[in-house]
Amino acid sequence: MPGLPPLIAEDVQVLDAALDDLLRKSEATAALIIDKGGPLIGQRGAVDQFDTTTISALAAGSFCATQAIAGLLGEADFASIYQQGERYSLLFCNIDENVLLIVIFKAELSVGAVKYYAAATIRQVGGQLHAAQQRAPETSVDLVSMNVLDVSSIFRKQP
Amino acid sequence: MAIINQATKELQVKVVYYGPGKGGKTTNLEQVHSNVQNVRERGKLVSLATSSDRTLFFDFLPVEAMAIKGFKTKFQLYTVPGQVIYNTTRQLVLRGVDGIVFVADSQYDKMAENVESFQNLEDNLKTLRLNFPDIPYVLQYNKRDLPNIAPIEYMEFLLNNREVQVPSFPSVASKCEGVFEALNMITRLLLNKFINEGARKTS
Repeated sequence: MPGLPPLIAEDVQVLDAALDDLLRKSEATAALIIDKGGPLIGQRGAVDQFDTTTISALAAGSFCATQAIAGLLGEADFASIYQQGERYSLLFCNIDENVLLIVIFKAELSVGAVKYYAAATIRQVGGQLHAAQQRAPETSVDLVSMNVLDVSSIFRKQP
Repeated sequence: MAIINQATKELQVKVVYYGPGKGGKTTNLEQVHSNVQNVRERGKLVSLATSSDRTLFFDFLPVEAMAIKGFKTKFQLYTVPGQVIYNTTRQLVLRGVDGIVFVADSQYDKMAENVESFQNLEDNLKTLRLNFPDIPYVLQYNKRDLPNIAPIEYMEFLLNNREVQVPSFPSVASKCEGVFEALNMITRLLLNKFINEGARKTS
């Protein structure tokens, strides 16, 4: 399974612009791009209101569990999942093998409209990640300046 | 696979605590959550557990380390449910794993479960098309304070008897002994791996 390629400034700009466009058109509250392993890749909107790191980990687990159920039903996959709340609702959409789009929106908004605008976002984000994947083998990963000797006790216990 | 964002100079790494049921995986995360001191941010410990406190899906603890040479380094620590019946769940949690802490139970009567769980880890990585030798891992021999425990040498023979031996740590997770040692070592192995891979790509 190829992982997510390293992202450069151009990728982040495109992803942010796609999410901003989705939020503007759909009037959703926040939108997240997450890796299916759990980490958050990008987020826009009123993200300070939510613990998006934990939402990302739980949403990835939930979506992947649902995909496993799809397999047991003989379905190839479930492309999206909708959770209706009293104040906020959630839409999870598959972008590609590695990545999901999560949209948090006020419960009074129509899920159909959010889904409609999310379709364009999925295409934009998926296209950019595909471009990043193609570029990845030639991309330099500038981690060599990290000094591992400094991290022999990166986590210290309280005395 | 780690998430590397060069635009925001951010590295996100996923570490999974694996091992047999009731071996101390959740206790490791609880101890890190309670006792870690030099981090930029320590998130909430989320446990998806049964009413009897057995892990049902996973435990999750995000911690953001102090920046390492300009890179913001975020660690996501997960546990898997150890009980044999939850294998599909273990596969889901292993998705995107970068490093593993295998928590073995030192009691003699748990040796078969340790070996079975280790074999299960190998099988699950294969199912996910991950190559075990490519994934850094460390062993933690937990519950060293209990009576009727196997000698370290015996556990090494059972679990660390490969061509390349990995670091192993005796521990008493309930007293936070050996917890940070294992976590720091897997962190070090992971960062070394990323730096070496980065160096290969840039050369």
